[in-house]
Amino acid sequence: MPSSRDPLDPLLEQWRDAPPPAGSVAPEVWRRIAAAKIRKERPDWLVQLEAVFARPSFAFVFVTACVLLGLFLAEARVSRLQAERNVQMARQYLRLIDPSFAGTQPDGAAAAPRS
Amino acid sequence: MKRLLMVLLAGAAGGVSAYFGWLGVNRPVQSGDLAAQLAWIQDDLQLTPAQFARIKALHEQSSPRLLALETEVVRLREELTAFERGRLVTGQVDFLEFARFVDQRRTVDQACTESTRELILAASAVMTPEQKTRYLALLEPVRHGPLAQVLN
Repeated sequence: MPSSRDPLDPLLEQWRDAPPPAGSVAPEVWRRIAAAKIRKERPDWLVQLEAVFARPSFAFVFVTACVLLGLFLAEARVSRLQAERNVQMARQYLRLIDPSFAGTQPDGAAAAPRS
Repeated sequence: MKRLLMVLLAGAAGGVSAYFGWLGVNRPVQSGDLAAQLAWIQDDLQLTPAQFARIKALHEQSSPRLLALETEVVRLREELTAFERGRLVTGQVDFLEFARFVDQRRTVDQACTESTRELILAASAVMTPEQKTRYLALLEPVRHGPLAQVLN
């Protein structure tokens, strides 16, 4: 009686021992568990904040607002420096046009070079 | 999280750059010479080129007299210091010498006040009423007494 070949035979012939699990699997599993745990422990507000900042439109507005705030603070400082400079320049100018004025000033207002 | 940090960092970098950039470009420059003072006056009072040229000429004309007065003020100041040192060392005061000094000082102070008054009046005459008001207002905060007294 002719023996018919079982369709499983070629597959069985190809069968080899299953490769041993890679050594890096366990650490990877633990890393994922830890990451999932951290994600779970993250407070809601932080998750929401991340979600908001993830939107490109909000990120653009935020950066623009920071730039504008920087400009505003710089301009406020420039105004203050300008006011101080005006007083300083007026003092120096008076010293230039009134030689007796220098003698009435405190040490901080030392004589400026005359051109 | 990474994205959040990146956006925050970009915002901080943008803000700091804008702050220092603007400050660097617009920071007022301090200078004590006459040219810088006149440039400041021109800028602050928005003087026309003709006004500026006239005011510059007035200041330059009075410069030698002011320098001479300044030399005199310095000499008197040194004289007073020497006088005071002598008083401390000897414990005596030469009242005649001191009276002479006071008289000289008064004369020089009057000359300085008169010189300043003339210069301010001459410079003011070149200005419009608004510029003149602003000019006097600029000088007012640094005078011990009201500037109007100098000009009267």
